[in-house]
Amino acid sequence: MTAIRKRTGGLLLLSLALSAGCTSTTVDEFRQADTGIDNHETVVILGRRQLSSYETSADFVECVGERIGSGADGLSVIPEQEFLDAMFPWFEPRTAPLRTEDLQRLMAEEQVALTMRGFGVRYIIWLDGFTERLNQEGSISCTVAPGGAGCFGFGSWEDDASFSARVWDVDSYNAVGTISTDASGQSYVPALVIPIPLIARVEANACQRLGDQLKNFVIGG
Amino acid sequence: MKHPLTTCVKVLLPALLLSACGASSVVISGSFPTPNIGTLPVTLAVVYDDSLQDFTYTEYSETGQEEYHIQSGQSHIELFNAILPAMFEQVIPVDAIEQAAEAGVDAVFVPNIEEFQLALPAKTRLDVYEVWIKYNMRLLTAEGDYLADWVLTSYGKTPTETFRGTESAINDAAIVALRDLASTFALSFTQVPEISDWLANR
Repeated sequence: MTAIRKRTGGLLLLSLALSAGCTSTTVDEFRQADTGIDNHETVVILGRRQLSSYETSADFVECVGERIGSGADGLSVIPEQEFLDAMFPWFEPRTAPLRTEDLQRLMAEEQVALTMRGFGVRYIIWLDGFTERLNQEGSISCTVAPGGAGCFGFGSWEDDASFSARVWDVDSYNAVGTISTDASGQSYVPALVIPIPLIARVEANACQRLGDQLKNFVIGG
Repeated sequence: MKHPLTTCVKVLLPALLLSACGASSVVISGSFPTPNIGTLPVTLAVVYDDSLQDFTYTEYSETGQEEYHIQSGQSHIELFNAILPAMFEQVIPVDAIEQAAEAGVDAVFVPNIEEFQLALPAKTRLDVYEVWIKYNMRLLTAEGDYLADWVLTSYGKTPTETFRGTESAINDAAIVALRDLASTFALSFTQVPEISDWLANR
């Protein structure tokens, strides 16, 4: 009887672990023009932060940048903060260009054009989005006593990441495409003496899929 | 003989209770980039009033007790020291407006904070820390006569993060607000009608 109970508990944990690993991710691509990049040209990825209700996380921007820059076919990516500081005050939340026409106007400023050329920026990629936590349920209580400590309970939640990347060609001042990604996954934390977090890597998966797609998009077609 | 642990608890417990009642002090600190803009052919004196240098905002809890003392005067001075030399040909800090005429400057700039607001997630139920600052900027002739007087506002926010303290989040939101001030100030300075007229007639 005890053996059956143990096996059932093990199976339950295993199925939870497997389902927690499952994150569903969809990527949509909309191409408006041909793309391509030379060896000496670079890409900069910037987060949109003009709205007060949310802001694109700097960590996500960095993650996508690392993904685009990785591998044998990795692109040269300018770190976001380095670009923002060098371009200050033109790409701050309140002053950043919202349309390609604004970028064209901005490039008429001598200092801006010089710095942009200095970086060798061919594409600006604007990331916009956030990860939302939904349906948080359950509770875990932990106790510490002279004889030892332990937790008991169950918690779960759903993460939903939604990001879009708009690609601007700095040479032609045109928007050349948009790639969107939606990812969602359920996380669980069963606690039977020790809490075992089974976390769905929703944002990490969104970053990975979006980064790979963006790299292929920029390299050409 | 008293157990050492008992003595320790007797000393530490009141200290812990007292510290829980006191307000936390946050000194805003950060670094600011130099603006990438054209320089105006103006020699400018800048006066940092005591009210700016010593500016401290106190945030009260819902029960009316002092919760945070936010000292942001020095960070504002560091900000202006970073942006003004990039905007003007020469910048001379002076202690009082009267010293400007002796320094042979074209104009005197006197920035001041009029209002400071802080929004904490515990009160707003939002997942962001927000800072909003209202400024009064004055530009005077070397003799102290009126040239321009305008209001600027700046806004900064930072999301809540696990393992980041409230003090650190307040600092980050304030630094974003200061960058916002710097960008707005640098880009809108010549668009203030009185300043635009003054520059055109020089």
